[in-house]
Order: sequence, then structure tokens, then C-alpha cells
Amino acid sequence: MNEGIKRYHPAFIVVELLSFFKGSIGFFLFLFVLKAASTATWVLWGRYIFVIACVITILSILLKWFYHRYEIAGDSIVVYEGIFVKRQRTVAIDRIHNQVSNTTFVHRWFGLTSLSLETGTIGDNATFTFPVITEGEKQRILLSLESGKEPIAAVNDGEIENRSKRTVHFRSTKKDIVKASFTSFSFLAIFPILTAIYFNLAEFFQIEESAENALDYLLIHWWMLIVLFVLALVLSVGIGFIKTSMKYGNYVISNDTERIYIEKGIGNFTSFSIQKHKVQAVIVEQTILKRILGLASIKLLSASTSGDEDSQETSSLYPFMPKHEAYQILHTMLPHYHIEENMNRFPLKVLWLKLLQPYYVTILAIIGLVIFKREWLWAAIIVFGLSILSRILDYWFTSYIRHGKTVQIRKGGFTNETFVTHRERIQQITVKHSWLQRKFGVATLTFTNKAKPLHESELYGVSKEEAGTFFNWYQKVL
Amino acid sequence: MYLAIEEPTETISNDAVKVWRISNTIGHSIAILILAILVVCEENFGWYVWIGLVLYILLGLTFVSSIYSIFIEPTYLQKTWRYSIDNQFVQMKRGKWSEQHTLIPMEKVEYVRTEQGPIMRRYGLYNIEIGTTASNHIIPAIPRDEAKRLKAQIAVFAKIQDQESAKGEK
Repeated sequence: MNEGIKRYHPAFIVVELLSFFKGSIGFFLFLFVLKAASTATWVLWGRYIFVIACVITILSILLKWFYHRYEIAGDSIVVYEGIFVKRQRTVAIDRIHNQVSNTTFVHRWFGLTSLSLETGTIGDNATFTFPVITEGEKQRILLSLESGKEPIAAVNDGEIENRSKRTVHFRSTKKDIVKASFTSFSFLAIFPILTAIYFNLAEFFQIEESAENALDYLLIHWWMLIVLFVLALVLSVGIGFIKTSMKYGNYVISNDTERIYIEKGIGNFTSFSIQKHKVQAVIVEQTILKRILGLASIKLLSASTSGDEDSQETSSLYPFMPKHEAYQILHTMLPHYHIEENMNRFPLKVLWLKLLQPYYVTILAIIGLVIFKREWLWAAIIVFGLSILSRILDYWFTSYIRHGKTVQIRKGGFTNETFVTHRERIQQITVKHSWLQRKFGVATLTFTNKAKPLHESELYGVSKEEAGTFFNWYQKVL
Repeated sequence: MYLAIEEPTETISNDAVKVWRISNTIGHSIAILILAILVVCEENFGWYVWIGLVLYILLGLTFVSSIYSIFIEPTYLQKTWRYSIDNQFVQMKRGKWSEQHTLIPMEKVEYVRTEQGPIMRRYGLYNIEIGTTASNHIIPAIPRDEAKRLKAQIAVFAKIQDQESAKGEK
């Protein structure tokens, strides 16, 4: 075998097997424990199929480990995979936008980790994952990513530490975690847990009756109710704190000249890093509660940030940081992204224009109610009221500013989102104006940023002068 | 001119009107035919009353839309479509009542291709599809030689821009 081509660490088999057992234990219990006495045909067949599926899966895991290989050749990474159908994927190192490394409990037992390299492309093959590799191997891959050259054969831990001067900007303390656990309402997590426990128990035992008896008892001895309530409160705060510190404990934000690093988690350790010039945009998000407490969460939008909650959180700076501190860190790491606090609303005529738009939802509601439930026709008035309210709120909380190469828009009533990006990061723009908009001297501005899925920003009611200027600005005529 | 911008000037082929008329006629005929069959079924097999109601509404809507898209839309679109291509940008404009301008930088263009359906082949026309990282855009109904030339030109411009921006990023 070629020396450069490597397999994953053998623990890959263990990790895969564990996740397979976790997935199939339900079937196993059902077929062999719950239905142990059954001789029904489908149970017997089910057992045979289950055993065969187990054998096939275990074999395929072994073969997968044997056939999955990768190689770092020059400035690209090559992955060979497939048992019967061979596939070979190659990615140039400079096409990789960001990387995520995730160390679960199982990884930790073996002193291993996982690594995903994400490219900016769309489709199934956008991510290169190394599910189980050693820490040293991960560093070797990362090092070759950074230098873009042939990897150094053997790297000592000491050298890795020295290779770049990272500045740490933020490290979460106990105080931060306490704050976070209250702001995120994680102490409410006890209620779903309790209900789940209750219903699971109720299935096996007849606790319904005893629960009623207990309730009667408690109602008579009300002081016990208070004690229980306090106990529950303490317990829920405790659970909330543990959950939050698992997730946000050890939060470290650091950077060097090239990259930004975000690391977090106790137990399940995640680290994320992105090259600075591959940040597509910055999003500042504030819920009502965070606004009251003066906190803000800042997200770095990268070409391969997928829309789901998990990866958005991965790429966000500590979400419970005081706003000015968050801005400061952002400013030191990405000096090009300056967030302007004072933004102006559109002129009032835009509100009138918005209110003049046809009320499609209301019309549909009226038609639907007339046909199906005429006596509920009054509900249409509520729908109408709500749509007027949402238009007013929409107008009130939308603002836009453009200075230098930066565009900044702010949107949203309850959760307020500020989006900042640069001209070079905008993929395309569209300016639209309808007959009605022309009467009001405004236009709609749409621009797109790379992300997964695409991030599209639409502004209704930009003045026609600004729309024209924006168009020329993007075209670099100005 | 409503916006103070440089508007694109190139027009698309006059035959576009015929192509769109023919293809919209075919499409709407098929839709009306399917709906008509469903109406006949409804009458004969005693389906629920509301299905018949919905079918008649759909039939009516399709009829109205066919009048618009066979007699009005093709001329309107052809008259208002403009595009321009230079070494920096692809610019497109369409519509009059509701006007839409789109600007795509060459460095974001990922691919360009021409495509042609059977009706377009009769008139020797091509659609040019420009794909970016964000989405794809179609400049419709370009005569054959012009389409080939534009395709090659966009490919060249996009390539050059890509190299320059790669250098700029480092």
C-alpha cells in the first residue's frame, strides 16, 4: 500500500458498532425479549431478518473500514471509498471553507476525534468527513490545510502548539454559564423530562390512581406542596445548569492572523474554525429577553453553514455575551465588519404603501369562511387586524444602511436580526419596482449571499434614488 | 427612466413571441384537457360535490390564464426583455408594469450553457442559461450564432474573473 494513503483509526469499527447497537437495541428487545414466547410467523421471520441484517451490517462496517482510505496529496485531499462501487473524491485544499471537529464521549474513551471539512459547493459531496481519527492525525490534516503544502511526516505535539500565535478573546466562566442557563430558559427543561418519566411509568404501573390519591393528600397538607414545589425548582435549576454547562462550558473564542476558532462543550467537545476571508456575512441576533439584558449572539455566516440549528450554533460566537463585548471581539477579529448601531427607518410613506398592498390572506380567509363556516365570519376581522399589525411591526423594525463597502440591514420584531455583509460577498442583486411602488418613488432590493441554503435579503421600500445608487455601487460605477 | 442606472440594451429575437405562443398553447391545451376529463369523470362517477366545484374553478382559472399567456404575455415579455454582457457583469431587465433588474458579477458565474426545445429548433433559437453559486438565470430566445458567441464570451469572461478574484483573496 502506498505510504501516503491512510485508513481511519481501527476504533472506527467500535464507534460504528456502538452506534449500530444503539439504533437496533429497540428491535432486539422487541423481538427477543418482549415477544420471547411468541411463535407467530412474523416474529420468527422478523428474528431471521434481524439476525441477517446484523451480520450484513457488521460485515459492511468491517469492509468499510478496510476500504475507506484517504490521502493528502500536494494541495488536495483524496478520499477513496466504496466496497463494490469504488468512488474517489478529490478536493483542492483552498476550496475548503471551514472545518468542524466533534469529540463525543465514545471518541474520548479512545483518545480520538472526528473532523469534517466543508466546501462551499451544494450537494451530497460537499462535506469531507473523517469520522474517527487520532488527535495527531487531525492536527496533521489541519496543518496541511493551513500551509497548503505537503504535510510534515511526523509532528510532535510541542510543534503544533508553537505553530501559530493564537489570541484568546473569550473564555466562559462559571458566571457566564449561570447567566446563560437563565437566559436560555434551560431550567424549564425539567418539565418535558418529568412528563416523559411520568408517562413511561404510567404505561407499566397503575400510577394514575395513586397519583390522584397523592394529589388529594397534598391538597390537604398544602405545606408539603410548597416543599415539593421548592424542591422541584431547585432540581430544575440544577438540571438546567448542568445542561447549559455541558453545551456552553469551556467556550473559547480565539483567532490568529488567518483564522477564527470557536471551541466549546464539556463531554461532547466541538471545535469550529473558519478562514477569515471566507466569512460571508455576520449576523447579530437578539431576542426580546436578550435585548432587555443587553446580550447579543453573533453568528458568522460561511458558505457551508447549513440552515439547521446545530451548525448555526457551532458557528456563533458565545450567544450570551454582553453586546458591547461581543462587538469588541468581532471588531478585533474581523476589523472589516463594523456594525453601525444607529440605523434609520424608511420614510413613513413606505408604511402607507405597505398597508395599501392587497390583503390576500384576509381575502382567502373570507372566502374560506363563507363557503365552510359562515357563522365564524367574524374571525376574518381578527386575521385582518393581525395582518395590519404585522405590516406595521415589519415597517417599524426594518432599517437599512450602506457605508463604504458594507451593507447592513436589520429586521424582525420579537427576534431582531442585524445582517452585515460586504460588496464582494454579495452573489447577485435584483432591483424590482411595480406600478404602485413607482407612485411612491420606491423599489424592492434583493441580494443573495452564499450559505446553505442561500441567504436572501429582501428590502421592500428602498427609495428609488438609493436603489439606483445601490445598483451602481454594486456595478462599481461609483 | 425610473432608476438612475445604465440600462441594458440588447433585445431578444422577435420569434420568441411565436415560440412562447405555441408552447403556451400546447401547455394550456393539455391542462384544460386533463381538467375536462376529470369533470366528465366527476359527473359520471358521482364524486363529492366540492370536487366538481374545485374543478370548475380550476377550469375557469386555467382559461383566464391561457388568454393572458397566449395573447398578452409573449408580446409583453419579448418587448421588455433586455440584457447586456460585458467583461464584468451580466445584466438583465424585464417587465414594464413591474420592472425587474438583475445584476450578476462575472466572477460568480459557475457555468453557462445553451438549450433548445423542439419548437425553438424550428425557429433556430436558443436559451442561454447562466448558473451562479446562488441560482441560475435564463436569457431566452437568442438566435443560434449569437447564442454560441455569447456562450463562449461568458465562459471566457467568467474564467478570467475567477482567476483574478482567486488572486485577490490570498
